[in-house]
Amino acid sequence: MNMLRPHEIGTIFKQLMENMKLNPLRWLALVALVVGLLAAGAPAQAAESDGSGDPKAVQHSADGNYLNFEPFGVIELPRLFLARTAEGGFTFDAFATTHAALDHGPYTLGDGEGGTLTDAQVDASFKDHKHLYFPVKRAQGSIMVDFSLTRHTVYVFLVGLIVVVVMLRLAAKYKRGVGREEAPHGTWQNLMEVFIVFLRDEVTKPTIGERWKTYFPYVATVFFFILLGNLIGLVPWGVTATSNIMVTGTLAAFTFVLTQFAGTKEYWQHIFNPPGVPVFVKPFLVPVEFIGLFTKPLALAFRLFGNMLSGHLVIVSLIGLIFIFAAQLGTGVGYATIFISVPLTVFIYVLKLAISFIQAYIFAILSALFIGLAIEEHEHVGEEHIGIEEDDERRRAEIEGDGVPGQAEELQDVLDEGVTETTPVVSEPAR
Amino acid sequence: MGNAALAYLAAGIGIAGAALGAGLGIGRLASSAMEGTARQPEAANEIRTTMIIAAALIEGVAIIAEIVAILLIVLT
Repeated sequence: MNMLRPHEIGTIFKQLMENMKLNPLRWLALVALVVGLLAAGAPAQAAESDGSGDPKAVQHSADGNYLNFEPFGVIELPRLFLARTAEGGFTFDAFATTHAALDHGPYTLGDGEGGTLTDAQVDASFKDHKHLYFPVKRAQGSIMVDFSLTRHTVYVFLVGLIVVVVMLRLAAKYKRGVGREEAPHGTWQNLMEVFIVFLRDEVTKPTIGERWKTYFPYVATVFFFILLGNLIGLVPWGVTATSNIMVTGTLAAFTFVLTQFAGTKEYWQHIFNPPGVPVFVKPFLVPVEFIGLFTKPLALAFRLFGNMLSGHLVIVSLIGLIFIFAAQLGTGVGYATIFISVPLTVFIYVLKLAISFIQAYIFAILSALFIGLAIEEHEHVGEEHIGIEEDDERRRAEIEGDGVPGQAEELQDVLDEGVTETTPVVSEPAR
Repeated sequence: MGNAALAYLAAGIGIAGAALGAGLGIGRLASSAMEGTARQPEAANEIRTTMIIAAALIEGVAIIAEIVAILLIVLT
């Protein structure tokens, strides 16, 4: 076997560098990424090593009223309470931080089991930010609604903002004609076009059918929101907003509402008066169908929630194994466990990266499917693919005939035709 | 064992059974779908769509088990 000699490795490395065109800026980004990944493990380690049974590591993947940048500090988020006073009146209190609410407001900490912490205990909890892990209670009266910002809220807004800004910039590019009248320009636009063409040709068109244009914006929006929400949780100090059942539930509620509004007469008839079913079966079938209305979005919400949360918990458990073995069997065994735990964590991390994409895809295609089932014309079951082919045929003829499409068309229209014109190979549905 | 301990145990065993069932189900589904795609590559898109519908239904049962397990833990 030919072994590589050192100077050969050097040459290969140099060629690799030249081929990849790694300029100093990219090197800096790469180094920052590696350092960041190393630092991402730090909060979990710090949390496990105090050994006080404090569920800080699990808190890391749960919701909370703070942003955790642990080695550098913790940012407390504003607390807003709609509370009932001791006299029975209503009051709305706003504090910049939990700390301020405890110091200056009529608020104290509960111990999570119905009791209340004493003032001395509350003061002691400010050290190490322990007060953030206890529920806040009102000293006199009670809290009616807790409107406090949580970190999942913050990240939902952040992800939404990023998606809106990025997509509007991209849309403006297509409006200017880049990607429609000429080839898409740059890595970013090409990358996003791959996603959008996939969503259009593989997700929306086959499932919804002829009326795909009405629902494509929703499917694409929900896909990119979930994708970014999932991916941002893999960034060091990032928070996975999609691992909150409230966030996924809201997304599923959008799909649910959209499905019901899309529903044709036949869709409702199939639920409340299924055709072709003996009369005595109907009393049993109708409730089942009716429950089926709600289990579909519920499953949608829980699928995303479970997938995103479980990844975090598995990583916490794997890292935690090191400390459990170190405490139970001695420090040496603990160090040895690192060589098992860390590669497994890296494996789960890569899996989470794949799951981020897969779950976004699954949510998008199931949303499209539920909508498609609701608007489906039942006589034409099994013929839908022919309809799409005809649609494609017509569209191709249109493009060849007119050339440049009108300026004032809708966004998806613009995307669609621009894509078809410049990358005809991609837009051909694989048959 | 106290009630809470029993509830936790029940949740653990329940979710294990659900995961086993869903894993077997989706495994069989995926193997059949792959076989189908290999025999008839031109039908890959339709097979994928139907596979995802079926996988969603199988997963739905597992998710109901997950909800029950969560309720067992949260409500005790």
